Amino acid sequence: MEIFPGINIDISLSLIVGVMVKMCMLLLLLLSVIMIRQEVLMDRVVNLPMGNSLKTMVWVFFAMTLILTLIVVIA
Amino acid sequence: MPEIFDASKKKDKEDLVEVKKLKDSGRYRSHWGSLVVTPKIKFESQNNGETIIVLGRRHFVTNLGWMALICFAIFIPFFWEEFPLIAGVNDNVHFSLIILWYLALTFFGLMNFLLWFYNVYIVTDERLVDVDFFGILYKNINVTQIRKVEDVNYSQRGILSSFFNFGDVVIQTASEQRSDEVFGKDGEASPFTFEAVSNPNEVVRIISELMEQEEKEEYEGRIK
Repeated sequence: MEIFPGINIDISLSLIVGVMVKMCMLLLLLLSVIMIRQEVLMDRVVNLPMGNSLKTMVWVFFAMTLILTLIVVIA
Repeated sequence: MPEIFDASKKKDKEDLVEVKKLKDSGRYRSHWGSLVVTPKIKFESQNNGETIIVLGRRHFVTNLGWMALICFAIFIPFFWEEFPLIAGVNDNVHFSLIILWYLALTFFGLMNFLLWFYNVYIVTDERLVDVDFFGILYKNINVTQIRKVEDVNYSQRGILSSFFNFGDVVIQTASEQRSDEVFGKDGEASPFTFEAVSNPNEVVRIISELMEQEEKEEYEGRIK
């Protein structure tokens, strides 16, 4: 299918699903950043002894999401 | 000369009969628990010299819903190739879909855990604090003085709450009262509703005892 003059792209199911997955991954990455911020705010409201462990856990999740998003988006 | 009254000798509220009972039982020390007696923590608007008597959150059993959902959802990718839409995509996209699925599940679990963990109520020797987080973008913190509390009651509904001994503690304050028929927009009978509290009877007793003590202090202060 010619989208722009001279550029032909085969729009397939894989392409559509692939783009949607990539967008969802980016959205999840954004949500994980929001979660980090929210965790910091929650910890400020109630300063519990294990707050730091939870902070680490949320950061690990963010790092994992970032790496996997990069892999999926670049691949 | 015998000492008749000394207002400066404020009774230590950590030594309330009900608090002592809970402390002696030794079951309410863990910060992961649903009810923590005299925890060594701090909260945002804590005054100098204000002592936290009880910290509580929803009973752990209330998490079973989302935990069961996650346990079920973990196995969905094993069967989703049966659906023509997913069977039609190539291996790379299929792999990306699996990654997205498990990341989203982890996010859902983490978020629910954080909301459970930080949605707490705090009973101090002066005030009641109800910290509510709804989703990841909205928080609501209610604070009231114990002397403004007019009525405390609790309700247990359903099999699980009777079996695991948890319920809603409703605290009516002088500032705002809602009847059972007219619930607030949040569905709570009062802004100070401690939902699904573990051992609600103990929490009610502690608050009642604090109210009595506060009244006594006010009275003693007045007749001095």
